[in-house]
Amino acid sequence: MNLWSKHVVPVVFGTLATLGWSISAQAGAHGGMNIPMIKATTLMEGLDNPWDMAFLPDGTMFYTEKCKGLSVRMPNGSVNPLYGMKGSTGYASSGDDLFCEGQAGMLSVAVDRDFAKNQHLYVYSSSTKYHGAGCKTNFERCDGNIVMRFKVGADLKAVSDRTDIVTDIQYKPFESNQPFGGPGAHNGSRLRVGPGGYLWVTGGDRHRGICPQDPKLLCGKVLRIDGDGMAHPDNNPPVGFDKRIYTYGHRNVQAIDFRPSDGKAFTAEHGPWHNDEITALVNGGNAGWDPAELTAGRGACPDKYCGYEPNQKEGMDPAIRAAYTPMSDTRFKDLMPATWNNNGYSQGTGSAAFLKGDNWGIYEGRLAVGIMGIGFGGTPAGQRIDMLSITPDGLGINNLTRMPLGFSKRFRGLAMGPDNALYVAVDEGEIYRVTAEPIK
Amino acid sequence: MGKFIGVVLAIALVSFSEHSLSADPVAGEARYQESCINCHGPAGKGVASYPKISGKPTLYTKEKLEAYRAGIKLGPNSSLMIMMAMPLTDQEIDNLAAYLETATYK
Repeated sequence: MNLWSKHVVPVVFGTLATLGWSISAQAGAHGGMNIPMIKATTLMEGLDNPWDMAFLPDGTMFYTEKCKGLSVRMPNGSVNPLYGMKGSTGYASSGDDLFCEGQAGMLSVAVDRDFAKNQHLYVYSSSTKYHGAGCKTNFERCDGNIVMRFKVGADLKAVSDRTDIVTDIQYKPFESNQPFGGPGAHNGSRLRVGPGGYLWVTGGDRHRGICPQDPKLLCGKVLRIDGDGMAHPDNNPPVGFDKRIYTYGHRNVQAIDFRPSDGKAFTAEHGPWHNDEITALVNGGNAGWDPAELTAGRGACPDKYCGYEPNQKEGMDPAIRAAYTPMSDTRFKDLMPATWNNNGYSQGTGSAAFLKGDNWGIYEGRLAVGIMGIGFGGTPAGQRIDMLSITPDGLGINNLTRMPLGFSKRFRGLAMGPDNALYVAVDEGEIYRVTAEPIK
Repeated sequence: MGKFIGVVLAIALVSFSEHSLSADPVAGEARYQESCINCHGPAGKGVASYPKISGKPTLYTKEKLEAYRAGIKLGPNSSLMIMMAMPLTDQEIDNLAAYLETATYK
């Protein structure tokens, strides 16, 4: 008997037998459990940093490219470039005030709930139009991120009637002494239409220490506004705050979606080398991020921003960082505690969407969270999409399952399509359609 | 004959100055997949706010990585690159530079 027949064959058959028993046992034990087959197919490729998608009921998909502009993919697969940024070509029209730099650019897009009647579309971008007398240094007001409303033409080949409904979201104009220190840092952003048809706008702290807790500056905030940019009448921020603010104390929120069962808003935001966080929002609540210097027992910090302290040059235990500048500082009485903190790691939560439709089987209603993967100082990169089962009170998770895609990329934008598929934009340049079907 | 030898020597000098004899692009790709890909994307194509780093002469990449490894700031995200370059050996830098020179994203 040769080596193969003596050792390998019995092992193979033994393994198969074990597997066979195991599969049978699993089927019996889980009788009827609806675990879907999840499959990703490439919908578009060769894009330039696709950031976000928004859908019409027939599958028409609006999408943004960070440094190019807004386009629409028709159900037949043809593409109409609608509105370009400065320097872009091939678009039906463009805005010379729109620019990209660092993390900033044309980011998110949302379709009005009454699009069938008003053809309205919302887009978030960086803009030079409202800088005014500001933006001379990193330590002053700089109105450099805006939300635009467009009217989309009936043939979906052009947009018109641009109206800037929010013009004063803060922007970082210059380099600073931080690890991700380039201009254009921490803009958020995700636009989503929530219950009642109101528009939610998520922001970032733009590397300015005072931003998240400041009552007037729209950096480090989540806004809830109407289609004209006016505050929702029921917003309940603390006294003295801008009424457009729904929650404050955020670091860099690139995800928001609403739980199908109760409409509750959940955000996902990046941590500073510790604690990416999912948070169940409470009207007027504080997410607890406060990177200001000379506060909470801290001394002076580089460029007045303690976001990467106490050591921004080398890797260190994330728990020590979290103790120094917490993502959710418990000294705030109105703190909204995190639902999930990525096991104390920061790997870059990019976007999130609740999985809708019974085709998702046991995963229906879970929050899919895209992790882009940032592996510094011993943190594993972890590029993946997690599916979180969130507790009814929104304050924790029951369990978490990694979406079995078979590949890892920088998962930047997640949005549910009208076909109950999950659409996923990755920084590498693709948009995927991820389907879930029952296993037959 | 003398001219010919001179040309050969000149070519050899340029080659030696830009390429390490032992640079291994396959090993460079493996090292790239370990950490660089998380920010710079597949084949150094550049993603998000992280720049494209493929298609550069080996000397360019080598000089940049050596500078970062020495703690020298070169641009706004230097802190990140300094941290990433610190553990690189000379051989790893050579390998990375050799891989990135011709790496392409398909």
